[in-house]
Order: sequence, then structure tokens, then C-alpha cells
Amino acid sequence: MIYIFDGAMGTMLQNAGLPPGYCPELWNQEQPAVITAIHKSYIDSGSDIIETNTFGANRIKLTHYGLEEKVALLNTAAVQAARAACGPATKIAGSVGPTGKLIVPLGDLSFDDAYNVFFEQISALDQAGVDMILIETIIDIQEMRAALLAAKAASKKPVICQMSFGADERTVTGTDPVTATIILEAMGADIIGVNCSLGPAQLLPIVEKIAQTTNCPISVQANAGMPSLINKQTVFPMQPEEMGHWAKKLVAAGARYVGGCCGTTPHHIKSIYQAVKHLSLSDLPTVQLAKKFTALTSRSKTIYLGADHPTVIIGERINPTGRKQLAADIASGQFISVKKEALSQIRAGAQLLDVNMGVPGIDQAKAMQYAIQELSMLVDVPLVIDTTDVNALEAGLKAYPGRALINSVSAEPERLESFLPLAKKYGAAILCLPISPAGVPKTAQDRLVVIQEIIHKAFEIGLKPGDFVLDALILTAAADARAGLEALATLKLYRQHLGYPTTMGLSNISFGLPRRDIINATFCAMALDAGLDAPILNPYDPLMQQTLAASALLLGNDPSGRSYSVNYAPTSQSEERAVPLTPKNIIEQIHLAIVSGEKEAVVPLVEQALREGHGSIEISEQALTTAMNKVGIAFGNGQCFLPQVLLAAESMRAAFLTIKKELPAHATTSLGTIILATVKGDIHDLGKNIVAALLENNGFTVIDLGKDISPEKIVEKALEHKADIVGLCALMTTTMPQIDHTIAALKAAGCSAQTIVGGAVLTQEYANQANADSYAANGVDAVTIAKNFMADKAQ
Amino acid sequence: MPIYNPTIQTLEMSELKRYSGLTKCTEFPQHLLDHACTEAQIISKPKASWQIYDYDASSATIMSPEPLSLPPTVISKHLANSIKVAVIAVTIGPNLEELVSDYFSKNEYTLGLLLDAAGTTAVELAADQACELIKQEANKQGYTTLFRFSPGYGQWDIRVQPQILSLAHGDEINITVTSTCMLLPRKSITAVIGLTATVPNLPLKEMIEGSKCDQCQQINCLSRKD
Repeated sequence: MIYIFDGAMGTMLQNAGLPPGYCPELWNQEQPAVITAIHKSYIDSGSDIIETNTFGANRIKLTHYGLEEKVALLNTAAVQAARAACGPATKIAGSVGPTGKLIVPLGDLSFDDAYNVFFEQISALDQAGVDMILIETIIDIQEMRAALLAAKAASKKPVICQMSFGADERTVTGTDPVTATIILEAMGADIIGVNCSLGPAQLLPIVEKIAQTTNCPISVQANAGMPSLINKQTVFPMQPEEMGHWAKKLVAAGARYVGGCCGTTPHHIKSIYQAVKHLSLSDLPTVQLAKKFTALTSRSKTIYLGADHPTVIIGERINPTGRKQLAADIASGQFISVKKEALSQIRAGAQLLDVNMGVPGIDQAKAMQYAIQELSMLVDVPLVIDTTDVNALEAGLKAYPGRALINSVSAEPERLESFLPLAKKYGAAILCLPISPAGVPKTAQDRLVVIQEIIHKAFEIGLKPGDFVLDALILTAAADARAGLEALATLKLYRQHLGYPTTMGLSNISFGLPRRDIINATFCAMALDAGLDAPILNPYDPLMQQTLAASALLLGNDPSGRSYSVNYAPTSQSEERAVPLTPKNIIEQIHLAIVSGEKEAVVPLVEQALREGHGSIEISEQALTTAMNKVGIAFGNGQCFLPQVLLAAESMRAAFLTIKKELPAHATTSLGTIILATVKGDIHDLGKNIVAALLENNGFTVIDLGKDISPEKIVEKALEHKADIVGLCALMTTTMPQIDHTIAALKAAGCSAQTIVGGAVLTQEYANQANADSYAANGVDAVTIAKNFMADKAQ
Repeated sequence: MPIYNPTIQTLEMSELKRYSGLTKCTEFPQHLLDHACTEAQIISKPKASWQIYDYDASSATIMSPEPLSLPPTVISKHLANSIKVAVIAVTIGPNLEELVSDYFSKNEYTLGLLLDAAGTTAVELAADQACELIKQEANKQGYTTLFRFSPGYGQWDIRVQPQILSLAHGDEINITVTSTCMLLPRKSITAVIGLTATVPNLPLKEMIEGSKCDQCQQINCLSRKD
């Protein structure tokens, strides 16, 4: 059966005389007859389900009108006004709109506060007698999660979850319809859908994607086309007949609840009713649901696990066990190392990240909540919450704006009793570990029995076939000769009897043995063949990376070996690089290393040159200085770029330090003393720092006064150090006049130093009018000007 | 006043290279670029705040509680068809610039420069995300949003910065402005976004898709787009 919702409420209220800026929900109390009449007009047009006038009747929205204490009253009045319009078959959906705030960490509203706000409103709607809860127009999946949890806690009635997507088929906070559907179905939404933001044409592909993802009924309430602003009024262009035309397509795509949102009227609803109400479901195309799978999601990405999908790597590195630095990072609350591990593992190929906060003595729930929040902002791969602490598990699940995997649920009673309900409540999948109160089963057959017991208990709680990932359990090969064989046999039994996706912590197999990487990679290849879908491993291990790439090819997950070839075929670029540059001697080698910016390579080369009897002056002049000159010229010609100049400067510095270390008596002669400063009022110093670095590494003595430096201070230091040159930098038009003031002050104080000025807004013309001696467009120019000046001075 | 904390999940390598002057460079150590990206992602604390006001195009005035008249320069031309404006402030916090200074003090100039460029990339990305939120909300009501226009661009006098920051409620996300009109933290942005009607025959395309580099007088800038 196709159910017909109603259309827009706001427009109807305006037409009925609601003053601009007035609280629409207040009319539930003040003008209930008007509200009832609007409902009646929709029912008369064919609506089976009408929506209460409570879209903004939550505490946060009502606060804007000073009505926050009327949440229960206005929601109750809304239901009464709706009920007064109903016929015997009409159903009432309690409309619950967004709070208008984003949830932490995207915004400043806490998840618990959002939950409480929704709970208050939905409780009132439930008690007033709505037939279902309709959570709609939500753009943040975390807000929808809070609302859905509140609805499930406050009411036993069906819950409809409708998100709003943009033209790119994502919510503005990044969630796509497939990901949203997976999260919401797992959390127990009864009907999943979409409303607002777009017209029916734009919502059609979104409905198609939802239909391919879930067996849940689908609802859709489109706007009457894409709005325009005409005479400062928002106008929705789609006529009722066209809306009916699109309603047929939406139903054919899988929608079973169809209504309208902004800009739709009773005429639109009547057209929808006439178009779809009497369609026979048996005449509609059957939507092909994607194959059964276990899906995990972040806020914006879905990863599928199972035999029909490529191997998924679970990165194991966010685990403080045996890692003092990571443990200290977590204990200190910094989480810098945690974040680095997350990014690095993804770069190395991890598609899921295991997150373990098991540092003794800390508040693990707090640490897990923070880690999950921070990682959900930083990475888009789904997370695996790895803990034995039930409080930490709930904190992590609540904070996660996606569908996480719980690592792990064993057959131990306390784990089953505490973890399974949380998995159900928050819509998480579970990693099932075959450990029973009797311990670790030795044989594959015994492990299968334990796993079946866990799955049985999970089904009793309400989990579904798509909620499992099975661990085959690896023991240490050094301690148990059959460890590998039993794990492989377990994988095969799982696939044969259950078919759910599988995982294993691979590195356990090699504990206590040398060259663990060889054993791990070999075992990984064997396990993949035996049915392993999602190994938990160290993604940085190069041997493992090679094994996984080759296995993907051999198991048919890398058609034509395209990915393997991209990674392992020699490229033309690397072939070019393989052509050796053949400097004639060590001096040329140093020269080349400086030009190439090879800081690490230059040190041993200088050491070698000194050992071979080359003097420091020879190295400095023939290798280092000529190299920097060459880099400077290349920069001037546009053949070399600033970061490359800086790399060369760093290499030059490393070379000088090596000479000084090897020949402590060696004294390099300073080319001159330069005072550098960013002028008063200006806080930018990047450019000035670059100039300082280049001058210093070209042999000048640089006294860098920093940023926001007064003319008086610059004069004082220039005189004190008998500066040859004063370099002044300003980045903004507002601070540029300080260049003039400073130069005037230098001259007034009788300072004879040459002035060089530069900075983003400065020009040669400005330098001239400020009486600067020179203008440098960049750091390399500054070096050239300084060198020329000192050369002239010496003559 | 909405507050939004944007996500920095990926930084466009091409933008990082542009801001560090490497656009035309074909060979540069990738690990240094990756390192800068990683650090910027980890230590950035992006935040955005904004407020939408009515705009009187005839007098080029933002109708805030204390109305702000805009000068008859590119900014008022840019907003000539706007009915409302969103005034926005965005920052990635002070951590990144402190680390840049650390790198320079440790003579790691290249990483300092690259991290600074990654910070610019990050704050622009954060601003893009906040603008997208504004755009989608505006689109729902039939408005089209123009590209963001910042004080200092296109001869719009930078001295308007304190008023713009105040209209965006930048203090709520810990942005301050110096007496010389610089934003602190330095990796911060303020801007005005015009909301206009979707009326055909307006020269909107270039306003919607316009390049900010076109509006900038810094013709020698390393980051300038061709």
C-alpha cells in the first residue's frame, strides 16, 4: 500500500495570517481551529498521514520566542488540533525538526543535551497520542542519532527518519544516503527517508540509493521544485500536476510513503494522491537490494566486509599496549600521536582503524569519547572501538557519528550481557571472539560452537545477520604448533557454516619469533585464501603490503592486476631517476647535494671531503657558495622554487655545521652584519624568517629582532651592532608607513646602515618614497642585494 | 549566530603547492609535503561563526544593529544585487603558526614554509565548508550565494576588519584584531557573502565562480592563479 503524507504547514499558516516572525507552534494553543482546518484540507486532498504543527516545538527553538517552558503544552495542543481533523483511518505523525544547532564536535551542542531536548518533545507527542514519530529535515547524522535514540526511549511507536540532502546527494555535513540508511536501519529506524532541500527530480536518485540499501519502507517528501526568490518572497515553482508525475517515479524507485515539503499545498497532495494512491504494489518494479553484507560507516563513508568484497585492512596501531610514547600521549590528553597514527595508517592502506585507549590508570571512557570525537573529525574511515570497559564502549559508541565495529564480544556472560545491548542500541556491528567461560577453544570445531552461541545470543537481543564479523582467533605458533592450522580451519568453517565476514589479529601468530614480518605476511596470504576478509594488521609493514597487493590480484579482487601494476611496475619517472648523475669529484658531489637539497646526504660527503684533505675554504667556496649561487640564479629564472631554495639553504647549513664540527678552529668570515625586523604593528614574520635563513646561510651575521618591532628598538640595535644593513619587512598596507618611520629614525640617529625593504604590499616605488636604499622582492633578491652592497663597500 | 567546527580530513596537495610556490615545480620530496599536511590536519582547530544581515544595495549598507556602509569600490559592486549578506569569520587557531615558528627556530625552514602553506590551505578549506553550509541554507529559501569577499581584497580597505569581525561574532571563536587590522590567530579569515535572488540575466556566473586572485593587486604573489 502507498501512504500519502500531507504537504507544507508553514506556507498554509502564512496564508492563514500568521504574522512574520511569530512562533508557528504557538498557534496550536492560540488558533487550534486554524491548525485543524489546515490538517482537514490535507485529509480532504487524500492524506493518510498528517504531521503535527510541531516542527520547531523543541526547547531550543522555542527559546527564540521565550516559550521554552511550553514544550509539553504546545506539542500536546498540536496533537489535539490534528486529532480534531482526523477521520477514522487518518494517522498522526508527530513532527520533530532539528534543533538548529550542530552537535559536538561539529558544533557546540552536546549529544546528551540534544538527546534531552528531543526526549522532552517526543515524550510530549507520544503522551498526547501521535501514531508515529517523524524526525525530519535533519542535516547532521549525529543529531539524527540523538533524536532516534530519544524516540526509541520515549515511545514505542514507529519512528520515521528523514534526512535532508544537497544537490551533491550528501548532507551539508557530508553524509550520503547509503551511509545514512545503514546507520539508521541499524539503530532501529522503522521508516527511512528524505525530505526538503530539493525537488522530486533531485530526490529521485537519492530514493533509489536508499531503496538499494534497505528493506525498510521508504518515505519521501520533496519540495515543490527548486525555489526562486521573487520580490523577496521564496517561490516554489512546481505545479501540482508535475508533482503527481514525479510521485509516480518516486514510488517506482521504492518509496511507499509520499508527501510534500516546502511549497506544496493541498492541490499538490491531491495530485500525488491521484497519481500513486491506487497503484498496485505488484505492478511496481522490484528494487534489487544489494547482497547481504556487513557494512561499517563513518559519517561520510561506507565500507563493506565479506566474501563478495575486496579485503579490508584494519589498522591496529592505535593501541597503547607496549607503546610507552603512545600511552603517554593518551594519558596526557594530547592525542597527537593517536592522530598521527590514524593518518599514517590510512596513507598506508588501512580502511578501518582499531581504536584502543587501554592505558592503565586513566579514565578510559573519557579518553575513548575524546579519541572517537577527534578521529571522526580527522579521518573518514570507519572506526573499530576496541575495549573491554563497558563505559568506554558506550562513550565511544555515543560519540561516533557512524556505525562502528565493537571489538570484541566473547561468549563470556558478562560480555554478552553488557556489550550486546549497547550494540543494538547504537547500531554497531560486533566482532565475535570465540572465547567462552571455559577459555580458548583449541579446535576449529569448538570455536565454531562458541561463535554460534554468541550469534544466538545476539539474535535474541535483536541483532541481525549483517551485524557480525567473526574472529578466527590466532594463538602463538611458537607456543602451539597447530595455532596456524586451527585458525585457518576456523576460517573455513565460518565460511562454510555461517558466511559472515571474518577477521583476525594477524601478528599474534609470530609472537616470540624472529623476523615476524615474514611469518605475518605468509600467514596473511594463507588466511586470505582460507576466507579471511578483514585482517587486523600493521599497515606500515612493507612485506605485508606486498603480500596484500599480490593476494588481491590472485584472489580476483584486482582485475587485470591494475592496482598491483600501478604500485609495483617501474615507472618511467623512476627509470629516469635511476640514471645516475656522475659528478667528477667529491666537491662536485657536495655541490650537487646542496643544489638538490639533500640535507642528510651532504653531511657524510663533507666529512669525506675533509678526510680526503680538501680544505674548508675550498669546500665553502667551490661547493657550497657556488651551489647556493646556482640555486639563486635558478630561482631568479623561474627554474627553481622557494621551498627548493630553502632545502638548499638547510643543506648548506648542515654542511657548514659539519665543517665546524670536524674543524673546530675553522672560522668562517662573516660577510656582514644585518639587522632584520618586521616593523611595528605587523605580526607576520614568515617572509622575514625566510630572508633571515637565506642571509645566514650565505654567510651573513643576522640579528633577527622578530616581529612588531618599534623604530626605536631597531635604531638601538643597529647602532649597538654596527649593522652594515638593516632589513625591514611589512606585510600590510596598515603597517607599511612604519617602514617610512623606521628609515627616518635610522637616518635621524646617524645610522649609516644600508636599508633593504620588502614584504607582500611593498613595491619599488614605495621603497623609493620611503627613502629605502633598496627594495627586495624576495629572499633571494635580498641576498643578492646584500652581497653586492658588501662587495661595493669593501672596494 | 551559528558556530561550526569544519573538518580537515584531506588537504588538497595542489593548493598546498600553490601556497608554497611549488605550482610549477615538478620534482619535490613528497614526504615533506605529506608531513606538512599531516601536521596541519592534526594541530588545526578549525572554527567558523557567521551572522546573516539584510543588505541595502542602494546605499551599500549592511543593515546590522549598527549599520555598516561599504565604500563604492569593488565590494559594493560585488554586492550590487544582494538582498542579504552573511558575514563570516573562520580560524584554525594559533597552534599551527606556533609550530611554524618552532620550525624556523630549529632551522627547518622548508617544513616551516610548507606548514604555513598547509595552514593557509586548511583555513581556506574550513571557510569553504562554512560557506557551503550558508549556501545550502540560503538555497532553501531561493537565494543564490556569491563567492566570499574579504577585507583587503579588491581595494576594500583593510581598516574595515574590526567591524567585519564584530559582525561575524569572531570573538566567539577567539579571533581578535590588532590595531593594525590584522587577525589573530594569523590563519584566520573574515569575509562577506552576498545572498541574491536567482534572477536570470544578471552577471552572476562570474560573481559565483569568480577567482579571488583576479581581485588581488599582488601580481607577483607566488600563490597567484594564472
